[in-house]
Amino acid sequence: MRNTRDHDEAIAGGRVEVVLVEDNPNDAELILRVLRKHNVANQVVLLKDGVEALDYFFPPDGPLPGAANATLKIILLDLKLPKVDGIEVLRRIKADERTRSVPVVVLTSSTEQRDLKNAYDLGANSYVAKPIKFDEFAKAVADMGLYWLVLNKLPDH
Amino acid sequence: MNEEKVDIVIVEDDPNDAELITRVFRKHNMANRVVVLKDGEEALSFFFGSRANDRPKVVLLDLKLPKVNGIEVLQRLKSEERTKDVPVVVLTSSAESQDIKDAYKYGVNSYVTKPIRFEDFANAVTELRFYWLLLNKPNEGQGADLTQRTRG
Amino acid sequence: MEETQTITESRYLRERLATLEETQRATLNILEDFDEEKAKLQRLQQATMNLLEDFDEERGNFQRVQKATLNLLEDMNEERVKLGDTQNALMNILEDVEVERVKAEQARALMEAVNRELEAFSYSVSHDLRAPLRAISGFAQAVVEDYAPRLDDEGKRFLGLIQDNAHRMGQLIDDLLTFSRLGRQQIVETQIDLGLLAQSVFEELVAQAPKRRIELKVQPAPLARGDKAMVRQVLVNLLSNAIKFTRPRAEAIIEFGYVQESGQGAYYVKDNGVGFDMQYAAKLFGVFQRLHSVSEFEGTGVGLAIVFRIITRHGGRLWARGAVDKGAMFFFTLPEGEAS
Repeated sequence: MRNTRDHDEAIAGGRVEVVLVEDNPNDAELILRVLRKHNVANQVVLLKDGVEALDYFFPPDGPLPGAANATLKIILLDLKLPKVDGIEVLRRIKADERTRSVPVVVLTSSTEQRDLKNAYDLGANSYVAKPIKFDEFAKAVADMGLYWLVLNKLPDH
Repeated sequence: MNEEKVDIVIVEDDPNDAELITRVFRKHNMANRVVVLKDGEEALSFFFGSRANDRPKVVLLDLKLPKVNGIEVLQRLKSEERTKDVPVVVLTSSAESQDIKDAYKYGVNSYVTKPIRFEDFANAVTELRFYWLLLNKPNEGQGADLTQRTRG
Repeated sequence: MEETQTITESRYLRERLATLEETQRATLNILEDFDEEKAKLQRLQQATMNLLEDFDEERGNFQRVQKATLNLLEDMNEERVKLGDTQNALMNILEDVEVERVKAEQARALMEAVNRELEAFSYSVSHDLRAPLRAISGFAQAVVEDYAPRLDDEGKRFLGLIQDNAHRMGQLIDDLLTFSRLGRQQIVETQIDLGLLAQSVFEELVAQAPKRRIELKVQPAPLARGDKAMVRQVLVNLLSNAIKFTRPRAEAIIEFGYVQESGQGAYYVKDNGVGFDMQYAAKLFGVFQRLHSVSEFEGTGVGLAIVFRIITRHGGRLWARGAVDKGAMFFFTLPEGEAS
């Protein structure tokens, strides 16, 4: 079950650069706006819970559009997700050869020690705590986009 | 023995680059403790030797290092419980596919190629500093471990 | 008594006669059968004779066929010998071709190996040559930042010069590497719309000079066939020159188009800049050749040499016309694209 128009466009175009796993619709909208305004991401796919995320990266049938997608540069992953939580999604992504080299940035409101430890132990590339204030949040997203989409280098497929 | 907390570890054999990078990190915050290690061997003894340290907020790791190369250092850092969650950013002049592949294979957090022109280089390091010292949240909880190490 | 004997004799005779008659009848039957058999035999004989006659005919036919076949075989043999000769000749040619092919393959493999080595060499040259430049610029900048209060104007100026020269040297290295790579690179042919390309290149270049008034006119031009990246480089170099040398003008007017010059169609880039003295036109495209000093206009003197190399590799021609203070016009030809 795919949800956003962006996603359908992305599937049609095939050039997905950012996957955003976020259940809070306000945060999701803000993040998408910031990324688009700074022109740093051409195609962003929004997934709303852990099950959608797992289905996207490891579809029960057929090939892997997300993982096999050579243009994917970053996965922004919230931890508090319905159905299957972010840690489990992270675990699966980092455990699979095909998906493990895509950078995963945990973007979450949690600053709990346990979450930090789990995330890093499972191989999260980075952990960013969502700022509380709106403008700081927007700036953080813009900086993240710039870093992971422009400065960071990924292997060719 | 210096037990002060180290924030940034730079593993870089080119002394010019090492100095220029250090400048950027200390320019914005003179309190940043920066350690420069000039080859793979020094890096390994820093992290696994008798010297006790808190885990730094980031390790900037060049690949072309004498004695023990960067990929090996990365491999060791990411395979040991104690060091695997320290963010390691490869900062190297190599843009070779194989190096990038290997780095991700061993779990590098980020791979950045050194820009050639100084202005771009300075900008990149500034961005690195901003991202890994201010934006990224490292796992700093180390209470128990630290006690263990100082005893040993 | 005689009667009995006579009766007995006559009975005996009668019996004998009967037997004789039977025998006679049997013999007659046999003779009849024999006649039938004889007739059959005669018929058979006749049939055999007929067969033999037919057989003779057939044998004659067969002999004729045999002879014809033998002739054919002889002809075939001749043909086969000829074929054998042709085949031999062909084998020889194929061998020669194979030898040539192997030679060509070896030459190509050698060239590829050399190219790879050159490419690796260039790559390491570029990094090794440029690395100290980064240090030079970096530490000059460090001095400016940390010692500004202690530096007089002259000191700051010197440091500026150090940085400028480091920058220039980096540019030179880049240009030389581009120039050397051009000689080795494969041309990947596509159809190119130069007008569109010129427009897009211009927009990128002009974004770096936001304060100036620069106008580009694009005239219709036919499609060309060539390596898009290389042709793009040509336009980048020609257009950035046009932008550079029109700097003294309040309003820079640059034009791209297509024109018939001495019977040949050529693309051109025209500007209303400072132009150049035609007597030095021959020096325009040499490496490191410049017609202006660095203090008037920056540049490494490799840009036009790069353009020249690219156009030459496409089999085209490059020439220029200009006059001091009256602008310049650079013409170049490229292989025709397919009619749009």
